[in-house]
Amino acid sequence: MKDNVASTIAFILLLCLNISFLNGQSPPGKPEILKCRSPDKETFTCWWKPGTDGGLPTNYSLTYVREGDENTYECPDYKTSGPNSCFFSKKYTSIWKIYIITVNATNQMGTTASEPLYVDVTYIVEPEPPRNLSLEVKWPKDRKPYLLIRWSPPNITDLRSGWFTMEYEIRLKSEETDEWEIHFAGQQTQFKIFSLYPGQKYFVQTRCKPDHGYWSRWGQESAIDIPNDFTMKDTTVWIFVAVLSAVICLIMVWAVALKGYSMMTCIFPPVPGPKIKGFDTHLLEKGKSEELLSALGCQDFPPTSDCEDLLVEFLEVDDNEDEQLMPSHSKEYPGQGVKPTHLDPDSDSGHGSYDSHSLLSEKCEEPQAYPPTFHIPEIIEKPENPEENITPIQDPQSNIPYFHADVSKSSTWPLLPGQHMPRSPYHSIADVCKLAGAPVDAVASFLDKAGKNALKSSKAFETGKEEKVAKQEMESLHSKTKEETSWPLLQEKASFIYAKPLDYVEIHKVNKDGVLSLLPKQKENCDQVEKPRASETSKEYAKVSGVTDNNILVLVPESQVQNMALFEESAKKAPSPLEQNQSEKDLASFAGTSSNCRLQLGRLDYLDPTCFMHSFH
Amino acid sequence: MISVMNSQGSAQKAGTLLLLVVSNLLFCQNVHPLPICPSGDCKMSLQDMFDRLVMLSHYIHSLSSEIFIEFDQRYAQGRGFIAKAINGCHTSSLPTPEDKEQAQQIPPEVLLKLVISLLHAWNDPLYQLVTEVGGIHEAPDGMVSRAKEIEAQIKQLLEGIQKIIGQVHPGANENEIYSVWAQLPSLQAADEESRLFAFYNLLHCLRRDSHKVDNYLKILKCRIVYQNNC
Repeated sequence: MKDNVASTIAFILLLCLNISFLNGQSPPGKPEILKCRSPDKETFTCWWKPGTDGGLPTNYSLTYVREGDENTYECPDYKTSGPNSCFFSKKYTSIWKIYIITVNATNQMGTTASEPLYVDVTYIVEPEPPRNLSLEVKWPKDRKPYLLIRWSPPNITDLRSGWFTMEYEIRLKSEETDEWEIHFAGQQTQFKIFSLYPGQKYFVQTRCKPDHGYWSRWGQESAIDIPNDFTMKDTTVWIFVAVLSAVICLIMVWAVALKGYSMMTCIFPPVPGPKIKGFDTHLLEKGKSEELLSALGCQDFPPTSDCEDLLVEFLEVDDNEDEQLMPSHSKEYPGQGVKPTHLDPDSDSGHGSYDSHSLLSEKCEEPQAYPPTFHIPEIIEKPENPEENITPIQDPQSNIPYFHADVSKSSTWPLLPGQHMPRSPYHSIADVCKLAGAPVDAVASFLDKAGKNALKSSKAFETGKEEKVAKQEMESLHSKTKEETSWPLLQEKASFIYAKPLDYVEIHKVNKDGVLSLLPKQKENCDQVEKPRASETSKEYAKVSGVTDNNILVLVPESQVQNMALFEESAKKAPSPLEQNQSEKDLASFAGTSSNCRLQLGRLDYLDPTCFMHSFH
Repeated sequence: MISVMNSQGSAQKAGTLLLLVVSNLLFCQNVHPLPICPSGDCKMSLQDMFDRLVMLSHYIHSLSSEIFIEFDQRYAQGRGFIAKAINGCHTSSLPTPEDKEQAQQIPPEVLLKLVISLLHAWNDPLYQLVTEVGGIHEAPDGMVSRAKEIEAQIKQLLEGIQKIIGQVHPGANENEIYSVWAQLPSLQAADEESRLFAFYNLLHCLRRDSHKVDNYLKILKCRIVYQNNC
């Protein structure tokens, strides 16, 4: 019985329930609290979203519990913030406290509660956007124009007491672009924009945020037209940039100009031409070899510097080539090829070696010091820097003498006319030239200055690369390539001067005066290198008595023929008192001045070639 | 010649030295001077001091927020920690104002004292937080570094406030209200859930209290320096 009653009641209830379902009525769906926001940290509002109403009118209520208070309260204000909202006024708002908010939906069928929301007003602050946005183009005096944007904070926030701290942001875009340009403005309520395109329309918006909270929405948009004379660029900056670049360019140009020559000389060192003092290339061109040879003046003969500086080896005259330079003497010239091998292979006889004692000092054991091959034609074929013959280039490092001979100067060899040079390895002028490893000019330059330099240059030629002597001092001599042909002249002239049997001597040294100090050949001492004067030698040949046919200069001791004064090796302008034999006016002048230029040096009687040089200037 | 060179060299040295000095001066001008004097009585303006304090407190709260949000997203999702964290701050016993009106009614020195109490109350918990955070499974590196940074900044803040109290209300009595933090055992709990909740609670309370300090100092700045006309 009871069971029947219970089941019947259940059945009826189910039936009613089914009937109600069939009618579409049900308890309300669960509402959902959307968000709670406080615009000023003093009040806040919560909004919810209703669920299904279950077909019946549904009421919503909001209840809350506050931290520190166990009571449950209902929403004080459902109206202010609109439908489905609850507004908490100042009275009901506490910050730094958690609110547990619940929304209940009630209808005839039942009540459904939402999920509780735990809210701390501190962290839900979202202000209203700023107000009173104003735009204005300002034109300050003597300064760039700009756009001034100003606004006011939202009404309800209390910034004065410090309760609320606000930060702002503005954004702007021109009418033509689609992207906004956002600028953070901090806590100030104005902003200046400088870089705007003239003639365009711009839109500006602002928004704000509390020191710890959410950004407001973007406020009302304002627009402004930028006038056409709104300069975008700062001309003064560009003027400054232009001036600075011009100054920098000028400085660079000036530096290049100043250093350019030295830089270029470092990169491309000028090739010095051959240079022989007193050697006149014009004379060479003209073919007047006599004048040319006579004009050559060799100074500092014999060399007084250390022997090791003189690297005169061998000079090899190749007389088979070039005949154009000296057509009148071409025949003699080829014959002038004095090869060192033909001569006595003496240890100290630097065949044509300019400074034999230097060779001795360097390598006494070496009998043969092959001078560089003296290819006159080759050198002639390569006239290099003829202009460099003009002035003497004094290399400070190696005192290779340069010739003062001017190209235009007509200078001739101070060769004694009619004098033959004894054929000896030393005495050939060509050999001497070869010693220098350069054309005759080089040899002449040798004799002009200290012997050291001559040795050095001859050393360079030792390698057999006379054209490749990179030394400027030697290159300067290249210009005198044409003067080389004067050598045969010299030899020719002196060929008939032959006073006594041949006697081979060795060149002791060449002092600074260009005086050649000669010694008897048997004297092969290495020690005599350093002596600047020939005074150490027991016997010195100070004078040229003549030149043999083989271009050998015959030297005689000082006590002998006073007339001999020709020094062959390096184009020294040894004055010859016998110049009248050759009927060359230059030689005559030489003789005239020879006596005046005699140097009284002990037993030696040297003639300073420099004095002869002056006669040709 | 040598004497000339020496004079030139000395002139060059003098010029270089002068240039260095001038450049140092120029650079120093742009540097905002630190308001805290290590010792002695430096007369820095109240405005500068408050500016610095507000800057420090703002920074401390930013760090605290970052730590909390990171921890919340990483470990506290779906665990209902927030419900348990109600009334869980050890500093709730302090009589701090709860809204703007209360904050404006309270005297400035009292408010300053409250701020000092709040900051002192966090000495120990922060230290324990730094020490015990290693026990958290895969604790993020940012948490430890931020916690240490907060520690350091709170120290500086305390110094500054002491200085301001000395200037605003010298001779104030030293009745500081202490609040005790007794949640260390929770931090060291064996149960991971308990341990995580302990950290959550700690970080939640730190975030709140740092916000309080920041807000109070901003109020005081506007009131004292700008006479309520910020």
